[in-house]
Amino acid sequence: MTQPPPVLENEFETEDIFVNMGPQHPSTHGVFRMVLTIDGELITDVTPYVGYMHRGAEKLCETMDYRQGIGYMDRTEYLANFNAELSYVMAVERLAELEVPERATWIRMILCELNRLSSHFMFLGAFGTDVGVFGTAFVYGFRNREVIQDLFEEITGDRLMFAYFRAGGLAWEVPDNFETRVREVLKDSREGLRELDGLMTQNEIFRARTEGVGVITAEDAIDWGTSGPTLRASGVPMDIRRDEPYLFYDQVDFDVITGDHGDVFDRFYGRIREASESIKIIEQCLERLEPGPIVPDRLPRMLRTPAGEVYTRTEAPRGEYGIYLVSKGGNRPHRLKIRSACLSNLQALRDMTIGGYVADAVVILGSLDIVLCEVDR
Amino acid sequence: MNVGLFGIENVNIWVDAVIRLQLIVILMTVVVMGLIYGERKIIGRFQRRLGPMRTGPFGILQSLADALKLVGKEDLRPRGADPWVFELAVYFVFVPVFMAFVAVPFAFDWNVRVLELGLFYVVAISSINIVGWVMAGWASDNRYAMLGALRAAAQGISYELPLILSLIAVSMVVSTDAGRGSLDLGVIVAEQGHIPYIVWQPLAFAIFYVAMLAELNRTPFDIPVGESEVVGGPFVEYSGIRWSMFFLAEYAGLFILSLVGAAVFLGGWAWPLGEEVGPVWQLLLTAGKALLLIFSVFWVRVTMPRMRIDQLMGFSWKVLLPMSFALILVNGLILVYDWPDVVLLASNVVGLIALYLIIDRGITRRRVRPPARAGAATTA
Amino acid sequence: MKGVLKSLGATANAFVRRPVTRQYPEMHRDLPERDRAFPILLWDDDIDEPYCTGCHACERACPVECMTVLMKDNPNHESVGGDSRRRKIIDKFWIDYARCMRCNICVEVCNFEAIAMNNTWTGHEVSVYDRADLVMDLPQLLAQHRAGELDEWVADI
Repeated sequence: MTQPPPVLENEFETEDIFVNMGPQHPSTHGVFRMVLTIDGELITDVTPYVGYMHRGAEKLCETMDYRQGIGYMDRTEYLANFNAELSYVMAVERLAELEVPERATWIRMILCELNRLSSHFMFLGAFGTDVGVFGTAFVYGFRNREVIQDLFEEITGDRLMFAYFRAGGLAWEVPDNFETRVREVLKDSREGLRELDGLMTQNEIFRARTEGVGVITAEDAIDWGTSGPTLRASGVPMDIRRDEPYLFYDQVDFDVITGDHGDVFDRFYGRIREASESIKIIEQCLERLEPGPIVPDRLPRMLRTPAGEVYTRTEAPRGEYGIYLVSKGGNRPHRLKIRSACLSNLQALRDMTIGGYVADAVVILGSLDIVLCEVDR
Repeated sequence: MNVGLFGIENVNIWVDAVIRLQLIVILMTVVVMGLIYGERKIIGRFQRRLGPMRTGPFGILQSLADALKLVGKEDLRPRGADPWVFELAVYFVFVPVFMAFVAVPFAFDWNVRVLELGLFYVVAISSINIVGWVMAGWASDNRYAMLGALRAAAQGISYELPLILSLIAVSMVVSTDAGRGSLDLGVIVAEQGHIPYIVWQPLAFAIFYVAMLAELNRTPFDIPVGESEVVGGPFVEYSGIRWSMFFLAEYAGLFILSLVGAAVFLGGWAWPLGEEVGPVWQLLLTAGKALLLIFSVFWVRVTMPRMRIDQLMGFSWKVLLPMSFALILVNGLILVYDWPDVVLLASNVVGLIALYLIIDRGITRRRVRPPARAGAATTA
Repeated sequence: MKGVLKSLGATANAFVRRPVTRQYPEMHRDLPERDRAFPILLWDDDIDEPYCTGCHACERACPVECMTVLMKDNPNHESVGGDSRRRKIIDKFWIDYARCMRCNICVEVCNFEAIAMNNTWTGHEVSVYDRADLVMDLPQLLAQHRAGELDEWVADI
């Protein structure tokens, strides 16, 4: 009995392979893991896994009084600590019905915008590495960030974990030379932005790598709950600073930067332009800054809030950073929930990545500018 | 058969070969260590850092320290690896690069062997190492390594062609006593006593330079070893001395291609204004011209983002290869109809402008606004 | 192509400028006066004893519970013939630097201004081989201010 000849198709059957990107991979920005199903170089499926950095910050805050919790907010969002602290203290202030003095508000605004600047520098640097510039963008970005970080250290005493905002105001007064120092830093930052802009934005190879990659439509971006520069790059002009002003954002003049194409390049370039908007805002704030108290007149030694619940949100560099706070009276939250911008932005990763190349996956993840500590909390 | 070596007459040809090869090995090791140190210093400077500073004055012993550390490391092999292929891969990468040094002229009459087909020999032998890359990637039993190896194979083969064709374009128009055309590197260099070929053939140089970057897996073509994508590519599972040999081969390859580029396009050991200079000056000229190329490679490395594999292949097959074919065609016509040398320059300038326009317009995709989904909300 | 040349120009511009690296162990950066390293205890030079009375305020306020405080009757009190007005004084004090998150709350809650954040480089360079060595006891906590090596800074609110 003769065997039938083998079918050619079966001989050459190929199969997709899985590639584990992360949790230990140079370009996953921390301990993020995505399982890529790849057909040659093309990505057919991607499964993201989060949670490697989960430390239970929300639960820990339930065991702490309102002042102790501030330090933990720093640790959830380590690139935009002031924004994280701000959301938290705003929630507490709204619950306890505290009035924040004017000077404290302006200083908070300056610091938050400076923090946005430093966070965007970090993004520009890390993104350059993702696209494949050999460390240059990273070092430039870091150097510029370092200047801002030095200023933060002079003001708050710490380089990263500031713990400087307090419910009601600020922990202590800024140094005497605050204004001149901020202006110096702004000058340096403007120069640094120009440097990074010149290094990357117009480079043809850079544009070839980023334009038309990781496209997400405005509708999908809204559906996935993205926010911040990721959403604005898709053309949705949503900015909490303008739509729902907190601090004194209604008194300053700035543009909401939107993109047209929703691709990686728009997300990158939007951040560069946003950083210059931040510089504009800070300059306006400096002009409005006047001497005055930085905490309310009557601040209790141990802050207690009435029972109730509140949700505050701020426009962090990565998007909407929200704090949902439930109090049953007393000096500590009953429940704290952090609405993380990065986690929501990450939801859109799958839509953006499928159909792209392996190299695109890295760039797309980089363009979302995730902070894993914030995703996993 | 006996030859002369360093002024000594009648040295046995095998003794002579061994001594010369020994010198090449020493030279290669020293140069590679210097290159690694130099690269780290130069890149540091480009990034407003200092680079290595701890080992010796200005960190000058850093390469030595690294080499010692790598030799001392355990030679690991993953359990799933194919032992023979895994360990042989190193030699397939390392030996060809070493062999390519045989034909390179360092100064007039200073080389291991004068080969009439020297240029052909160099490009032929230095393309063998792709086999080693694929072997390393295949045997490592690692998906990143596999991905990197396949990328390396695709890229190596695609850019081999423009590299060779651009060199051939030059070797076609070399005028010798016996007419035009020579593959002897010594002859090509000697012909550039007055004007180096980069002046006559700038397009060929441009193609050669880009293809050289790709051959060496240097940014913007470092796709096979892309740190942020495939974490080191085929070498991800190697450690210790084996890894250091890959590294040595990489930098030796950079040195050899720079030497070839310097010889073919920049005039090697020849003084550009036509004066005869002594062997020491010739050595310095060769080294200086090669280092100039190497410096530019470092400069490009700190500046450029990495290309993507499809763009890379497209650029090779759709842009560089047709252009180098056209170049050869034009050079052939010039030779057949005996047109003046100015036509060489003119055709190259036209080609360069075309290349500029292609990079300017063609490389970036046209962006389209994503279409709105029917029935979805349009604003926040 | 223009953009590529512009990028090359950007790096060339950096190449000709001075590097910004500071060689750390040899060159220490100046720390700002309100720099926060780890908390240390202050020494009352007038009466030659610690300011700390062991009141447990900082221990209770510490978010990470890195402090352990024990108090005792002051042997140097006026009632027993001494010259101190502190009835109680610190007996034993441990701070686990490995746990401390340097939030400054202990300094804020202290009623006697007896604790401060170290703002010198010694506070940052505390690497040890054994984790247990990071638990500082009373003499270690007091040593620096007693030797007068602290740049004092008091927050004005």
